[in-house]
Amino acid sequence: MEEEIERPIEKVLFRQSSTEQRLSPVHLSEEDSDDACDEEIAKICRTPKIIDVKLKPEDGAFAYSETQDKRRTSVGTLKDIKSSRKMASPRPKSPRQVVLKNDKEESFWDKIGTLGRKKRIKEVQEVESEGKYAIDSPGSPNAPIVPPEEYALDENEERCMIQPHAFNDPKLHELMQVLIEWINDELASQRIIVQDLAEDLYDGQVLQKLFEKLTNDKLDVPEVTQSEEGQRQKLAVVLAYFNRVLGLQVGGSNKWSVEAIHSKNLVAILHLLVALARHFRAPIRLPEHVSVDVIVVQKLYGQLNHRMVRENLTASYDDVGMKCERDAFDALFDHAPDKLQVVKKSLVTFVNKHLNKINLEVTELETQFHDGVYLTLLMGLLEGFFVPLYSFHLTPKEFEQKVHNVSFAFELMEDVGIAKPKSRPEDIVNQDLKSTLRVLYNLFSKYKNVG
Amino acid sequence: MEDIFHWCREGNAMQVRVWLDDTEHDMNLGDDHGFSPLHWAAKEGNSKIVELLLLRGARVNATNRGDDTPLHLAAAHGHRDIVLMLLRQKADVNFTNEHGNSPLHYACFWGYSDIAEDLLHHGAVVSIANKDGDTPLDKARGNLAKTLHELAVEAGQDLKKIKFKDQSWLGLKTRSRDATLSRHKGINIKELVLRDKLASSPSGETYKGIWQKNEIIAKILAVRHCTSRISRDFNEEFPKLRIFSHPNVLPVVGCCNSPPNLVVINQYMNLGSLYSVLHEGSNVVVDTAMALKFALDIARGMSFLHGLERIIPQYHLNSRHVMIDDDLTARINMADAKFSFQEKGRIYYPAWMSPEALQKKLSDINWEASDMWSFAILLWELATREVPFADQSPMEIGMKIALEGLRLGIKPGISPHLTKLIRICMNEDPGKRPTFDMVVPILDKMKR
Repeated sequence: MEEEIERPIEKVLFRQSSTEQRLSPVHLSEEDSDDACDEEIAKICRTPKIIDVKLKPEDGAFAYSETQDKRRTSVGTLKDIKSSRKMASPRPKSPRQVVLKNDKEESFWDKIGTLGRKKRIKEVQEVESEGKYAIDSPGSPNAPIVPPEEYALDENEERCMIQPHAFNDPKLHELMQVLIEWINDELASQRIIVQDLAEDLYDGQVLQKLFEKLTNDKLDVPEVTQSEEGQRQKLAVVLAYFNRVLGLQVGGSNKWSVEAIHSKNLVAILHLLVALARHFRAPIRLPEHVSVDVIVVQKLYGQLNHRMVRENLTASYDDVGMKCERDAFDALFDHAPDKLQVVKKSLVTFVNKHLNKINLEVTELETQFHDGVYLTLLMGLLEGFFVPLYSFHLTPKEFEQKVHNVSFAFELMEDVGIAKPKSRPEDIVNQDLKSTLRVLYNLFSKYKNVG
Repeated sequence: MEDIFHWCREGNAMQVRVWLDDTEHDMNLGDDHGFSPLHWAAKEGNSKIVELLLLRGARVNATNRGDDTPLHLAAAHGHRDIVLMLLRQKADVNFTNEHGNSPLHYACFWGYSDIAEDLLHHGAVVSIANKDGDTPLDKARGNLAKTLHELAVEAGQDLKKIKFKDQSWLGLKTRSRDATLSRHKGINIKELVLRDKLASSPSGETYKGIWQKNEIIAKILAVRHCTSRISRDFNEEFPKLRIFSHPNVLPVVGCCNSPPNLVVINQYMNLGSLYSVLHEGSNVVVDTAMALKFALDIARGMSFLHGLERIIPQYHLNSRHVMIDDDLTARINMADAKFSFQEKGRIYYPAWMSPEALQKKLSDINWEASDMWSFAILLWELATREVPFADQSPMEIGMKIALEGLRLGIKPGISPHLTKLIRICMNEDPGKRPTFDMVVPILDKMKR
């Protein structure tokens, strides 16, 4: 619950694509101000386009009332969507399969037109309550069958599937969660919320936005595409841009491709996102050495063959910090690891000289500065002020609290005239040694002679 | 003209009261001839208004351009009740104006024998010569001269003429304030002439300067990026610091809001802060009586501030933030209050702050009680003439007060009454600390 409340965006517009029932975020163009959005939402709310799912009592299956070209629009707050999604899932995969339209049955629209007639009012109410039940009821009694077309493979076509048991791996979950949070943080200003990596990223729309956000470039692609072919084209363009930024050859990486991503291959999407997070130095700490078992199915001569492959999604990283101009620390790390120890030792001596005054002792720079507490206290000791305890978290537990502490310490540095540190607060919290050393060295060079 | 001087002249006590209730009004301001409201009320014999003004702390010895005090005027116009009231408020009975005349000269000249006798009883000297060499006795006629002579002899006065000495250059007088001082909120930065840099602190740089012929202190606030939001907040907050209506509060005269420069201007105080008087060596001798007077002044000022709606949340009471006026009145310096955008998360003088104020947000604590704690530290400082926790850095002090129970020890040699008062004011339970209203009478009693 808390997580939902703390989300920065209250209202999100969701859409459902023509081929997909699943909710995916709608992207509002940048010109849309908050007001415009609200207005838009209000407009949609007023026009009765929201279609209720109606349960047909006779056969118990879901029936969907008709809309023009069967596209469905739904509007609601994130919370509503989430909860209703939770309760109504699993959702039917494709509308074609479940629209069992009875000609005799009047559609919702017909009823709207007859609202004036008294004898029909009761019927309308019944239908409404049915609709409500359909939305609120804890799931469909008959889960719709997954259409067999999805499994049909062409000759020589390959398909990857993650072993079901791999999803039990907490590290994979963590990786996906970290990536989702990163994307959502990046795209918060665009009012985009991603809930599922495969389902939300396959059409290239979110990837396009992500690219534009990360590179501050505007991509020359259509804003919205509905057709599958359009999506593919757009995805191809976006991936080409990504490959260029990532410095890959024209062929791109063999780990992801337009086809793979568009077919919602989670492994390919994860590979792409990890590469992006690494390249743009996302302020996140990726869980290390995450791997999944993948079954690759291929149709050869009319036979389905499968083999198991182990895909390594992440490796171990020693630099999570932001890339910046090369400085002495890069040289130090690359060429003189022995000297690094000397630097660390003198920094430890320096900070302890001051922290000892308030009975604190540091032994390890990497870990003991990551939560920002010592950094904040150190600033007070060096500059001769006390930091009121309400302005930071003395015993931070959450990542956000630690980031707050480190950013607060950075603020203090800037307030007393120290140049804004090149490291990001997140780098320090993620225990990036190089970033931590840079910050401490800055202090050292200014205050080494302070008693 | 409808203004305060007019109301004081015609005796409109009601209007005067309303006017005085506005904290932005300075009751010591003077008109074009330097007459303060008290001058006018004393001259016209409006005793109610005189009483009102004295009660609010109007300066009894303020002078006009002719160096007359209200006592001169009351004596010259024969308002005996007012003369007595002024004398009770310790008006300087032998003060001479630009002609060298004391109030007694006027009482004698106009033949107000009652007043002349009252003045004599309060120590008026009969032999002060004015510029023309005349003493009050020379001015008195007939019976009055005889009685005065007898009384003076009785009081043991030396009847030898005291020659006129022009002392105006000594600058001992406290003129009524230039009315322009309280009239302008926003001050044009171009009208400021800044001369000597006095200090540079984390909150900004302090200069001594001149503005409209007044000596002023200008503090240029240290702001990292002066955004339009900060400028707007500044504009909203500084008028709340213009409190002219209490003698123990030193108002912010005005401000220049010309980003990137935000300047806070207040009156120049020759003697500096209480901290410098106590610890940095000055000509002021702070004996026990003086220390008690300072304490009483501060308590009165704080009591007044607590009586107002909360002005600005961030006034931290400590000896650096109290100024000492020429007449040795301690005044709470509103220019030392912190603006909402200033020194966020930095406390430079935690030694004076209560443990709860170091740990919790101002909105979460009883700030009046927290001020009382600071007052207790001030009392300790006045009693010992020492800087609290002088040997430790702010961070050490703050952490130890907040988390380790570091407290000031009461040293032997402090009077038992004061010791008790300090203990009461420094109660660990904020709810059990007294209010300034309660402390004022106690200090008043101790002073006597």
